[in-house]
Amino acid sequence: MCRADEHPEPREAGAGASTDAAFTALLEDSAEELYESAPCGYLSTLMDGTIAKINATLLDWLGLERETVVGRKRFADLLTVGGRLYHETHFAPLLQMQGEISGIALEMKTCGSDRLPVLVSSAVKHSSDGEPLLIRTTVFDASDRRAYEQELLHRKQDADEARRQAEEAREQAEADRSRLQEALAVLQQSLLPASLPAVPGVETAVYYHTASPDRLGGDFYDLFPLDGKRWAFFLGDVCGKGPQAAAVTSLTRYTLRTAALHDPDPVAALTTLNSVLHDRYTGGDPRYCTAIFGVLEPDPANDCVTVRLASGGHPPALVARSDGTAALLPTPGGFLVGALAHAHFASTTTELHPGDTLLLYTDGLTEARTGPDRTSLYGDDALLAFVTDHAGAPPEEMIQALAGLLRGLGDGVDDDTALLALGSPAHTSAHSPATSHLR
Amino acid sequence: MSPLKIAARDAATGPVLHILGDLDYTTAHQLRAHLTALTLRRGQRLVLDLARLDFCDSSGITVLIAAHNQATAAHATLVLAAVPDNTLRILRIVGLDQLFPLYADTTAATST
Repeated sequence: MCRADEHPEPREAGAGASTDAAFTALLEDSAEELYESAPCGYLSTLMDGTIAKINATLLDWLGLERETVVGRKRFADLLTVGGRLYHETHFAPLLQMQGEISGIALEMKTCGSDRLPVLVSSAVKHSSDGEPLLIRTTVFDASDRRAYEQELLHRKQDADEARRQAEEAREQAEADRSRLQEALAVLQQSLLPASLPAVPGVETAVYYHTASPDRLGGDFYDLFPLDGKRWAFFLGDVCGKGPQAAAVTSLTRYTLRTAALHDPDPVAALTTLNSVLHDRYTGGDPRYCTAIFGVLEPDPANDCVTVRLASGGHPPALVARSDGTAALLPTPGGFLVGALAHAHFASTTTELHPGDTLLLYTDGLTEARTGPDRTSLYGDDALLAFVTDHAGAPPEEMIQALAGLLRGLGDGVDDDTALLALGSPAHTSAHSPATSHLR
Repeated sequence: MSPLKIAARDAATGPVLHILGDLDYTTAHQLRAHLTALTLRRGQRLVLDLARLDFCDSSGITVLIAAHNQATAAHATLVLAAVPDNTLRILRIVGLDQLFPLYADTTAATST
């Protein structure tokens, strides 16, 4: 805290004073000149706001003449409507309370009905006995600052707008995606029966595993009545995935249903399907499927169900017997359906006795990748062993077990998988009505 | 899973394609594109050497059938050489072992 003015060094005092005077003379003609031409506005008002003194800078900014202002206008009269309101509600009360106020952003009117953004500071001058005498006010041109603020605001608005548009686009994309998913789900459901019809003397169960919800699967199955005594069923796999495969699946399903009503012989039904697919898809983009088509004929008198089936290039069906054995139902030489103009289909016949279950499946299960590096396939032998292990189980239980197996294989199952089990119910005694099969 | 690689050369009998890796839904289009660009002349034999084919799914089978159709249209023949057991099993299931002439290896497939 050097109070140099109170204890000046005598030797230097004279020299310092003369230097200061020289500088003052050089830079400012007078204090009056400094007041009038300062780079900010000055004004003094009475306590009621009447302007008592105003400098040339501020008059120049506002485009006013001194005689129209001094004693005639109040400070608030120089402000825009908004500025006046703010002055009235905030500025003046604060100033009265605190005795000073600084850096308040207001807008002043200029002659061209433009607005001049300003920063205003005011201080009340008091008399020696503490009475408020007048208000001294400085006004700084805040145009550049306001422009900068406006620019910031615009940038922020632009950014907000861009963000809003991006959000809108994202929502739209999400809506589109969910609509597509919905359409895919509806289409997928049209490829499969919603439920299987009840067949007297036959238990049925199905399971469909979708490998990817985005890709329509090409696996299909169905079960429907032919006449009062016989039911037809089929299960198959269309090559490929996606909309094209789904179109083939749809064509396949309805062709087989129609063909079966004309001629329920399994080989005839597959032959019709072969012609339809081959005619429809020829050349460089062959479309085909593998399928097993069969006819069930329950024989209540002999307590058995006769099954005649034919296969076109499909993995062989399995039969699990009530005695705990299981075997493939081979149909060797059956050709892919739709790949060639003339295809051969092999047929076979079996009987299901109480407790026997016929299992049809697609290769999503047997081709599932297993092992730590996902390079081995689950395979036919493993499936036969698994089914043997569950031989005697009714269809629902068999399917549940296989569904559990599929879940256990996890993402090793990279293709859709359809499972269809048809069984002759085991005899139930009066003492154990639910099932004779205990496991 | 391994990517698909195709190595092509010409034998006296016609083009020979060595197929390496996985031929499945994600890679089948590569072989299809390769075959589409191939010109077969009447009487030629198109050999697909599958010795190093790791995996073939239904999409792969589709390309084989397309190749067969292409060869037939050009009055040429598609033959398969060194078919791995897992693929041979699939070919048997779908009856294609009756359609494609199968050879133990490319040497046998390209001997006139």
